[in-house]
Amino acid sequence: MKLVVVSAGLSVPSSTRLLADRLAAATAGRAPADVRVVELRDLAVEIAHNFASGFPGPDLASALDAVAEADGLIVVTPVFSASYSGLFKSFFDVLGVRDQDALAGKPVLIAATGGTARHSLVLDHALRPLFAYLKAVVVPTGVYAASEDWGAEGLPERIERAAGELAALMTGLSAGRGTERAEQDGSGTDGSGTDGSGADGSGKDGGFTVVPFEERLAALRG
Amino acid sequence: MQFGIFSVGDVTPDPTTGRTPTERERIKAMVAIALKAEEVGLDVFATGEHHNPPFVPSSPTTMLGYIAARTERLILSTSTTLITTNDPVKIAEDFAMLQHLADGRVDLMMGRGNTGPVYPWFGQDIRQGINLAVENYALLHRLWREDVVDWEGKFRTPLQGFTSTPRPLDGVPPFVWHGSIRSPEIAEQAAYYGDGFFHNNIFWPADHTKRMVELYRARYAHYGHGTPEQAIVGLGGQVFMRKNSQDAVREFRPYFDVAPVYGHGPSLEEFTAQTPLTVGSPQQVVEKTLAFRDYAGDYQRQLFLIDHAGLPLKTVLEQIDLLGEEVVPVLREEFAKGRPAGVPDAPTHASLLAGRAGAEEGVSAV
Repeated sequence: MKLVVVSAGLSVPSSTRLLADRLAAATAGRAPADVRVVELRDLAVEIAHNFASGFPGPDLASALDAVAEADGLIVVTPVFSASYSGLFKSFFDVLGVRDQDALAGKPVLIAATGGTARHSLVLDHALRPLFAYLKAVVVPTGVYAASEDWGAEGLPERIERAAGELAALMTGLSAGRGTERAEQDGSGTDGSGTDGSGADGSGKDGGFTVVPFEERLAALRG
Repeated sequence: MQFGIFSVGDVTPDPTTGRTPTERERIKAMVAIALKAEEVGLDVFATGEHHNPPFVPSSPTTMLGYIAARTERLILSTSTTLITTNDPVKIAEDFAMLQHLADGRVDLMMGRGNTGPVYPWFGQDIRQGINLAVENYALLHRLWREDVVDWEGKFRTPLQGFTSTPRPLDGVPPFVWHGSIRSPEIAEQAAYYGDGFFHNNIFWPADHTKRMVELYRARYAHYGHGTPEQAIVGLGGQVFMRKNSQDAVREFRPYFDVAPVYGHGPSLEEFTAQTPLTVGSPQQVVEKTLAFRDYAGDYQRQLFLIDHAGLPLKTVLEQIDLLGEEVVPVLREEFAKGRPAGVPDAPTHASLLAGRAGAEEGVSAV
């Protein structure tokens, strides 16, 4: 399975990345997964260029593909001006424009860092609605880490609980989603089916899902 | 293989002088560009269609009819004709009329248009864009092939006993391309009808164009129109040339940096590395264009965008001279090398007429 971690921390080292790594390790410990970390700081210029040019540069395209193909996602942002950072939002804006269903049905663990605990509801006021809009399955436990939490009780337990929820959804949902995809493809479970010559003429061509033209016409006539 | 120019028809200030051409100047410039294309031996001129400033070409067949009267060989086309917001009946009539006036030197490219407000201005909804393209083209296809049409659909008032006039020249409908940058549904539509598929190929990396063209070719074969290699593919391209490549970069950069579509984004160097844009010598343009074949296969039509971003007419005409003198003759020769015998040319009125005559002979011989 593939676990992708999106971290929007800007400093090096960053507490956002630290939290991301803790969450990733806890999740991978329960659901064996290849972990890929996407540092949005490294993609900041390509993300801005995508808004101006309409297409992603090579590194951003690779990151977007990784997120779209992930079986589970951990997203961590610092709190800026009472919300997720602009860079964090911009990444998911670009993803949504490219493929509005990229996160549909995907298990997502939301997390944030901040200077004080006063912003902890940013998880439920900002991140949870964003990922609900993107049709993701957001795990019940979000993890917020204020500076003081790194020396206090409670954070490791919240990390474990959230990671357990994500791992359970990944193992459960990813099996279910695989079945659904295979049914749509008409290409069995091997996930190939790229020759576009299924018996009924439907199938996947070069990664595109093709609705046979007769069906499309018939839907309009109906 | 056909080579030509496609124009968006934008009225953009020249960033080096601050001067904005008048609409009249821009419209006349588009005509001058088309005439120049014929003069230097190019095959096709295609105009965009827009219904909002800063674009001038809202009435493509008016412009193409005028150009038809002043040219002898040039094929007149569109890039694109809005199949979503135009009435398909009016498209059938306008382009059949143009066919007669231009002695068959007409084809057209269907497109959806991506400007949201244009849809409600014409009584439509952009969220129905694909469905509009599907239904309207299905009607247009019949109007050119059936003398009397009874029709009912979701988006247009029904037709009873309707005959679109004039009938297509010699009973042969204009050849149709379907243009799309990112919608696999349109590649599927082109394949279903055995029509051409055009990828604008300008702002997107080659890998994306490759996947769209491969989808079209596979589905073209699926629908029994021929082998994937026989599908009819057109590509866009974008170039700026000077004899010396450093001069090209120096002269084009101020236009690139503030160009309406991609300005203030990636640098000229990044953009040329990641997209088909070529800024350099004619030889560099030849090399990059020949490489399109590596990902699109042997194809039928190459159109260049050269008159946007506020470039002055004089400069644009110089670009067309370079295309005609130093680029296209080499491309014709090089593309012909190693081109498999089964790869057809782009259909023209003459070839479609001959094909129909051949088919009728075949039938009568049986």
